Amino acid sequence: MPRLGQSDRYNSESICTFIQVKWDNIGDMRNLRTLLRLAWGGAWRRPLQSLFFIVGVSIGVAMIIAIDLANSSANRAFTISTDAVVGKATHQIVGGPNGVDESVYLRIRRELGYRKSAPIVEGYVKVKTLNGQPMRLLGVDSFAERPFREELGTAKIAELNQKSFSAFMAEPNTVLIGANVSDEYRLAIGESLEIQVGSYHHKLRIVDVIASEDRRIRRSLKDLLVTDIATAQEVFAKIGKLDRIDLILPDAPSKTEVLERIESVLPPGACIESPDARRGAVIEMTNAFRLNLTALSLLALVVGMFLIYNTVSFSVIQRRTVIGRLRAIGMTRREIFTMILAEATVLGIAGAILGVGLGILLSRGAIGMVTTSINDLFFVSNVREINISSPTLLKGGLLGIAAAAIGALIPAFEAARVTPVSTLQRSAIESRTRRSLRWVSVAGVAALLLGAGLLLPEWHLGLTFLGVLAVLVGVALLTPSFMRGFAALAATRWLRRRLPILGNMAIRDIDRALSRTSTAVAALMIAVSVIVGVSVMIGSFRITVERWLTDLLGADIFVSPPAIANSQMAARLDPDAFKLFETFPGIAQVATARSVEVDASGMGRITLSAITRDIAGEKRHYKSALGNHAETWDAFQSGGLIVNEPLANRYKRSLGDTITLLTDKGEIPFKIVGVAYDFDVRPGIMMYDVVYRSHWDDPHLSSAALFVQPGVDVDEKIGALKAALAGKLELIIRSNRALRANALAVFDRTFSIFVALQMLAAVVAFIGVLSALMSLQLERTREIGTLRSIGITRGQLSRLTLLETGLMGAIAGLIAMPTGLVLATILIYIINLRSFGWTLQMQLQPSQFTLAFVVALVSALLASIYPAWRMGQMQPAEALRTE
Amino acid sequence: MGSRDSAHKPLIRISSLSKIYREGDQHHVVLDGITEDFYGGEFVCLHGKSGSGKSTLLNLIAGIDAPSDGDILIHAADGEIALNRLTERERTLFRRNHVGFVFQFFNLIPTLTVIENVTLPLNLMGKRNAQKSAASLLDAVGLGARTDTYPDKLSGGEQQRVAIARALVHNPRFLLADEPTGNLDAETGESVLTLLLRLSRSAGKTLVMATHATEIAERADRVFHIDGGKLILHKG
Repeated sequence: MPRLGQSDRYNSESICTFIQVKWDNIGDMRNLRTLLRLAWGGAWRRPLQSLFFIVGVSIGVAMIIAIDLANSSANRAFTISTDAVVGKATHQIVGGPNGVDESVYLRIRRELGYRKSAPIVEGYVKVKTLNGQPMRLLGVDSFAERPFREELGTAKIAELNQKSFSAFMAEPNTVLIGANVSDEYRLAIGESLEIQVGSYHHKLRIVDVIASEDRRIRRSLKDLLVTDIATAQEVFAKIGKLDRIDLILPDAPSKTEVLERIESVLPPGACIESPDARRGAVIEMTNAFRLNLTALSLLALVVGMFLIYNTVSFSVIQRRTVIGRLRAIGMTRREIFTMILAEATVLGIAGAILGVGLGILLSRGAIGMVTTSINDLFFVSNVREINISSPTLLKGGLLGIAAAAIGALIPAFEAARVTPVSTLQRSAIESRTRRSLRWVSVAGVAALLLGAGLLLPEWHLGLTFLGVLAVLVGVALLTPSFMRGFAALAATRWLRRRLPILGNMAIRDIDRALSRTSTAVAALMIAVSVIVGVSVMIGSFRITVERWLTDLLGADIFVSPPAIANSQMAARLDPDAFKLFETFPGIAQVATARSVEVDASGMGRITLSAITRDIAGEKRHYKSALGNHAETWDAFQSGGLIVNEPLANRYKRSLGDTITLLTDKGEIPFKIVGVAYDFDVRPGIMMYDVVYRSHWDDPHLSSAALFVQPGVDVDEKIGALKAALAGKLELIIRSNRALRANALAVFDRTFSIFVALQMLAAVVAFIGVLSALMSLQLERTREIGTLRSIGITRGQLSRLTLLETGLMGAIAGLIAMPTGLVLATILIYIINLRSFGWTLQMQLQPSQFTLAFVVALVSALLASIYPAWRMGQMQPAEALRTE
Repeated sequence: MGSRDSAHKPLIRISSLSKIYREGDQHHVVLDGITEDFYGGEFVCLHGKSGSGKSTLLNLIAGIDAPSDGDILIHAADGEIALNRLTERERTLFRRNHVGFVFQFFNLIPTLTVIENVTLPLNLMGKRNAQKSAASLLDAVGLGARTDTYPDKLSGGEQQRVAIARALVHNPRFLLADEPTGNLDAETGESVLTLLLRLSRSAGKTLVMATHATEIAERADRVFHIDGGKLILHKG
């Protein structure tokens, strides 16, 4: 049996003593004030490094807070506006695309005598009088309202003055607005609001204002117009129809009986559901998008932790003599540990406070970007203010402080190891770094394996992001080994003899200070690899979408009514417009689409497009299909469904499976005959128009695609169509080129926030390199003095610094290229697929990699300008005096 | 012994040299108008308490620091160099070409091997055959077998021997040594000093050395004491 050697025994004992000392001293920190004073003194003596530390933490905290505030404000705005219009309703009767017939409501009230029911017609309108602001228009029956939306003030409609009430009830096109809207836009009773729904314009006369003491209600009133139900039916062209019937059901046991009675009078296409379920489904749709944003918002803090580690590590090394003296005069290991940690925490708190303020400022920009994306991709949302929630600020701040403390842990342990007799030697730390390199690399490989374990099986998306983090940390931990390998290569006698002396010095300087240079390189590498990964992903995505759109948009001209947002279901296309297109000279064919939302069993509301022909034709790309294009189309015409990839992936449906849809004739299963590539974030299906009309009582159209006759100029034809419709009907008429450009503009807008986030992370990495260089330079003051005294000029010193940082940047760039490629692969084939269900084709462009290398190199070189200048300014005599 | 023949011009001529450090409103006079000549090949020792100005004088002669007042003239092959009139860059190039400096703490460049440390001045001057010159000097200081070793693997005495080789390799006009044995034990210090004197004498170099050690002074041609900013001749 092997015996424990003398040195091993000593080490084991000292570790035990160390642990014991640490625990014994808990609760015995009477001199915390002294420690804090020492910590503060330490931070104050290195103002620039401390400033970098604070800025690094603050940017990380600011990004987290900005994104969190933007996300939560968007959610809250949605919840508040939904809550207000849902009121006390426990259930809702909803119908198909055309809503519920109002006769159903009458039967519930009259035949069943169920009074806790209220009809609703609602939708978004664009209010031209209010600078085109989108608002929700809620059509109510004032007699049925009282139990439902008392808080909103609709119950008080009956209490309006006699004149207002008569006008609201009896006169068409009258509206109630919130007192805050009336104040903001200086609108008085009697004035009119001009609103637009699709192609149609209406004027609504304000008959009264609704005021509320409740803050939430006041907020929801900012986006709300209330009309009588008849006015709403007219505005939305839903005469005789209701969007839903709100119900307040009693608690069990009578609930079941009431439900059964109500269900007995419902037509086949209607059903009862809980408002929470619908609201939950809408919010859930944006979850993946928000999680992607949150993940990227954490990046700056992750990069910032390298900066923190570097700064604290340097401060420990710089004060090694002082720490030795403090130990000699009786300071315990725990107290030294606490002092270093306190210093980092004090700076972390300063960074967190600054970050909270900066985060609130940044959130104003972020909310705009997030709302635009939600409007473009998911649903109409009108978020106008940031909801500054204390938990968000606290969470962001605490994360910043925790990052500071965690980043400082290892250097604090190093400091605590200093003994009074042998102060921590600079070379001792580097020797230890070298000795521990093998274990750091093993940890790196372990992190990579952990990453693979989290990425390859399909876990929750949050765990998948943790997998990405593990991969990045893994490569970061392998970075010192890569750098040693690089230094070993450069140290070969052959190369050493051929390199200029400054080149040799630069390489070895980097290698010598590996504990610091490797963290700076790792931080820069992570930031640059994220730039590579995200830009390859976005580039691939854009090319994939562009090709897909080119193939998909087979028609020449596209017509749709104006919409409030890109995500809004198209309003109805006027039948006269369709007639015009069919007979318009030069138009060979007209394809139409009806886009609606339908209930699918187990999926909630999904979008359905009923089409008369496939405008993509043979160019439609199926992930899987029943047969060739013709066979698939035949099966489609016979009642089959083509589902989009997001639906197939999210709900695990494939070719041959069925989806049960709630039609106006009851629940009917439809067979999937094709899974098509699609880049909508929402699950959707396509159905043949004839099949749709046979199951739903819906005569309307949403959009049209026109094919011009051969030789006809598309732009001229668009001009002619616009001229023919001028003054009669407002429609968006676009060439296929313009529609594609619009789709790509939406694409670019969506990703602008991701690009902004990765840039901020790169700024933190840049500060990390700058801070590391400043530290290294301070540490080498004496060496610089020697070099100057033997005749190295300022220019040569500056070149040496530039060479060193250039090499560090180049190494970071070289490691970042394959890492970025791995990251891009993960983003494309795992994250995107699992978040949104899209299959993208990776498109590699050499320019993206070249650019990443240049970014790493240039940012490192830029970071070295100030240290190089300072180095040149150093007086050799003073430098030589430095201990 | 170096030549002090009046026919020979002094190698280093110092006149009315002052160095004053300002600290806020306080003026601290380190050197107070000293005038002296140092001749080719002589070994001059500077004595004095800590902080008396020995290192400051060496730094001024080397051009590492600039005087507050007074002149330093260096007699070079192509005429006289007025050190105090040179620009910062010119002073750097002067050090590179004309000065060999040995420090108390060796000040070797830790990232360079022994031979690279020694060849550094030659490389900076753009000289060819740097390796050959450095190797022969390393042989002379007894470290011919350690050329590829890094400084942190050497003992203090060995490091100082490398520093001596580095100071001599580019054939400087003169050598300056600031407490070269101050960081070594007595025995090692003695052997390093002997080596330094042997090499500087054999190369005919002027050596100006700042030291506390009185036994070194016994071997010097002239000994000066610095006190109160003045240079006082003690021996010679």
